[in-house]
Amino acid sequence: MITYLEAIREAQKKALESDPRVYIYGQDIAAFGGAFKATKNLAATFPGRVIDSPISEDAMIGSAIGAALQGMRPVIEMQFADFSTVGFNQIVNQAATMFWRTGEPCPITIRLPSGGTPGSGPFHSQNLEALYAHYPGLIILTPATVEDAYSMLLEAIALNDPVIFCEHKYLYYHLKAEALPSAALPVGKARIARAGRDATVVTYSAMLHEALAAAEELAADGWEIEVIDLRSVKPLDTDTVLASVARTGRVLAVGEAWPWGGVTAEVLARIATDGFNLLDAPPMRLNSKDTPVPFHPNLWGTHRPTASTISNALRDLLRL
Amino acid sequence: MPRIPIVMPQLGESIAEATIIAFNVSIGDEVECDQDALEVETQKAVMGVTSPCSGRVVEWSAQIQESYAVGEILGFVECTVEEAHRLGLDGVIAPSSAMRESLPHGFSPADAAAAPFLQSPPLSTTGVAPTLRGLPVPAHASGASFLSPRLKARMAELGLHAADLAGIAGSGAAGRLTIEDFEKFLSQLDDQQLSQASSMRVAVADAMRRSWTRPIATVGMPVVIDPLLAHRKLTTTKAGPALYGLRALAIALGENSALAGRLIGDKIVHPRSIDVGFAVEAEDGVLVPVLRHADRTPLNALVVRYNELVDLARRRRLPADATGGSIATVTNFGSFGLEWATPIPLPEQTLVLGMGAGRIVPRWDAKTSQFLPATEAHFTLSFDHRVLDGGGAGRLLVRIAELLSTPESL
Amino acid sequence: MLHLAEAPSRAGKTSDFPETYRRAYRWMLLARVAEEKIASLFRGGRITGGVFLGKGQEAISVATGLALKQGDIFAPLIRDQAGRLAFGESLHDFTLTYLGARSGPMRGRDGNVHRGRPREGLLPMISHLGAMISVVNGMLIAHRFNGKAGTVGAASLGDGATSTGAFHESLNQAAVEKLPLVLVVTNNQYAYSTPNERQFACSDLVEKAIGYGVSGHSIDGTCLEDCMNGIGEAVRQARAGHGPQLVVASNLRLAGHGEHDDAHYVSTHLKNLPLGRDCLENAQQKLLQNGWAEAPTLELWARECAVQVDEAVAYALREPAPDPATEDWCAISHRHLADGNNAAI
Repeated sequence: MITYLEAIREAQKKALESDPRVYIYGQDIAAFGGAFKATKNLAATFPGRVIDSPISEDAMIGSAIGAALQGMRPVIEMQFADFSTVGFNQIVNQAATMFWRTGEPCPITIRLPSGGTPGSGPFHSQNLEALYAHYPGLIILTPATVEDAYSMLLEAIALNDPVIFCEHKYLYYHLKAEALPSAALPVGKARIARAGRDATVVTYSAMLHEALAAAEELAADGWEIEVIDLRSVKPLDTDTVLASVARTGRVLAVGEAWPWGGVTAEVLARIATDGFNLLDAPPMRLNSKDTPVPFHPNLWGTHRPTASTISNALRDLLRL
Repeated sequence: MPRIPIVMPQLGESIAEATIIAFNVSIGDEVECDQDALEVETQKAVMGVTSPCSGRVVEWSAQIQESYAVGEILGFVECTVEEAHRLGLDGVIAPSSAMRESLPHGFSPADAAAAPFLQSPPLSTTGVAPTLRGLPVPAHASGASFLSPRLKARMAELGLHAADLAGIAGSGAAGRLTIEDFEKFLSQLDDQQLSQASSMRVAVADAMRRSWTRPIATVGMPVVIDPLLAHRKLTTTKAGPALYGLRALAIALGENSALAGRLIGDKIVHPRSIDVGFAVEAEDGVLVPVLRHADRTPLNALVVRYNELVDLARRRRLPADATGGSIATVTNFGSFGLEWATPIPLPEQTLVLGMGAGRIVPRWDAKTSQFLPATEAHFTLSFDHRVLDGGGAGRLLVRIAELLSTPESL
Repeated sequence: MLHLAEAPSRAGKTSDFPETYRRAYRWMLLARVAEEKIASLFRGGRITGGVFLGKGQEAISVATGLALKQGDIFAPLIRDQAGRLAFGESLHDFTLTYLGARSGPMRGRDGNVHRGRPREGLLPMISHLGAMISVVNGMLIAHRFNGKAGTVGAASLGDGATSTGAFHESLNQAAVEKLPLVLVVTNNQYAYSTPNERQFACSDLVEKAIGYGVSGHSIDGTCLEDCMNGIGEAVRQARAGHGPQLVVASNLRLAGHGEHDDAHYVSTHLKNLPLGRDCLENAQQKLLQNGWAEAPTLELWARECAVQVDEAVAYALREPAPDPATEDWCAISHRHLADGNNAAI
């Protein structure tokens, strides 16, 4: 069995092995192996290519941009997604605009350990995919499976554009697969994780597993729920989403991130615009509450969507 | 000689206009390229505006203490062709005064004379192909028949149906009825006399509207009813003519109930039993009581129940089990003196048999080789054309006429 | 490693110094003439957006550009026209970008001083200037990975940028990685309108070198010779593997922050100090005093510069403007991954 975290480590190992342009830069990632051990043993295997950085997110990302302009393929590990806001300027003003301004590609991969786990609190739990997706020039990946964590990280490093790789911390150890994949869907294609005909759930990252559990619960009552794993939130595979809504006529978008102006809002906006005549009920969404992420598990468990709140929302949607 | 415009500069990112303070050179004076030709003031600073070339000032179109928008022409310098070429100003030579006056409205000389990169070509769509996204929209979801959710919600609030709006011409995209069209229509109604429709009227309207969603067709033929009238004279029960029609229809449908079937999806739903209704006029509407198993009960045994139902219907006292569930209806519009009509079947029925008023007509008698008087009434059959065709409906009507020619067998 | 003393003067010590000095002067002069022409076009209504002049800063700038070689990296600031020319940027890049031509390096997508050619080592600045330092660091890290020894990266900053977090992070990063970074800080006394006393509290910005463990150099920004020697020495140190170098040059900004700014707030006291002298005039006097150039030669150079600038402006004015209808509205290099909401509706 291989975990989601091991898949990320294996992908980095493979990238370091197969491409001399790749190096990894981040806090505590060399000898220590990273706060989550995503780079465990890599520094020893690839001397000089897995480098500890000072606690300087701005400079970490700025230097990656410079190295990328000189043909390198840097992978930057943010210790937590939350800390990437310190390097926000470099990501959105420097990296994201580089190709548009100069015609020079900027192939950097920024790994954001994202999302909540019990007890991780306001500054170690955030989901920032919508924040970065707002900026033109960035690609935002949100893998939900062990297989995608592996194949999409490899593809991210191979891409010539800046990639924000949102890996979910809750899945690091909770999610396991039999083996690493030998083939994968390309970036930009959503996956139908479960087929159904009564309603569509559009989701990504850790919420996929909550949505699948909710679909299973509703199956006992005879409802067939289709679940779509977006895989990448930018680009957003609108065609797959619309085709599903055309089959089911009902849609619920679920995201662990905050609601305001987020990925779920974007999904619903596109459905309302391009798929208005496919709908039998108002498009709905479910997100975390509009507060900082709470520390205590009791609060945290209610703050974010779960299988039971998703199935409740689906029952409401099916009644409409 | 080329006339090069002196233009109000953009003196800061958010500056929209500036005020002329002084002209440093007068009309007729020589100026050097890059020399400050006039002074302007913004909220941020006082600045000199430079001459674009060396030459002679030939016009000041701006005035002291007046404000001008960024890009507006303030005056002109005339220079040699060589000077204009040297400075790359060939493309910004100003049109003559006459030409400027003929510029179309809304097109300021500043637009024409600004630096080349301000002269963006008119926004054309060449090279920008529209992106087709999403899935095709069902044909019925656009154009005149489309009612937006907003309009539907407003109609639901007022209890209106699409048919109520039939008289409004939509002004929206593809003839679509807009909410403005709708509200205008409503406000116009306020000028007219309004009276409350009875609940009976509303119920009939609802049934007819639903029925009319199907393709309804009508066939008709004259039927000689002298045998029926003769038979009626001989009986003591005196069944109404509609009951004869009803009984004939019931027998015919008993022989082939599929004719009264309903089409649901790709299935014909056969009737469970031959229960036939008949139309009775009540105040401000029509009621349809039902005779159950009308194919199995002889005419004379139906009369009492029939008369009882007519009476109850007229008093609007029909019990619940006496209406609904019928598979066809008979309506005797002849009782209003009408000879022909095209009644509409109830929404849950496929057929309605109509009976016109009888009248005496000359009819050729082959035996005696002469015209003899005969009483004829037109019978019509309106049907859901999805279930029946003209031939099937015609054969059913002929069979009914045949049964009515031997009323003693009914 | 740290030396706060004035850099040793080596004027005239090498035989080709007068020739280098003359080259430097001619780049400075070309920059001055070119910028004055753009300022004139701005005040003649022919420029959209801002115009930022390096007047009074040409000596520091040209010294930086001249100290760098092909293969080095240069992240200029907004007053580096002289340094850009000396580093190898064409005058056409300057006029095409200011006039917004489609054929310029930025294609009308960005303007004025925000231009560069990263492939040739010239970085296009973003407005958040401290942010350019770490990009230079990254390019130097890449050089190290690729075995490109002996290359140097220079980043220009003003006194204002030393207050940013990015300055701190990136100088510290360069120090930790011992990168051949030369940070040229021009203290021209004002960041837009903010004077030094509202910007920092140390007595001299070069003191910051101690805190980061890097070498510091103080130079007189009004003296071309001092700039050439001081920045030249810093670049030599970096190239020789002695780690990051912080050069602090002092001068006075002799223009507004941009041409929209009349700089009324600049203190008369500062203007009358030696600090307020024009480095170009100083250099001109030096040429004449030392007999390195005669007056008619200087006049000839000035005329040549004017012709060269007029030609570059005329060329750019004739170039087509960007066309929104044919513009490629795609912000990423992988076209198939564009999110595609750019259709004209």
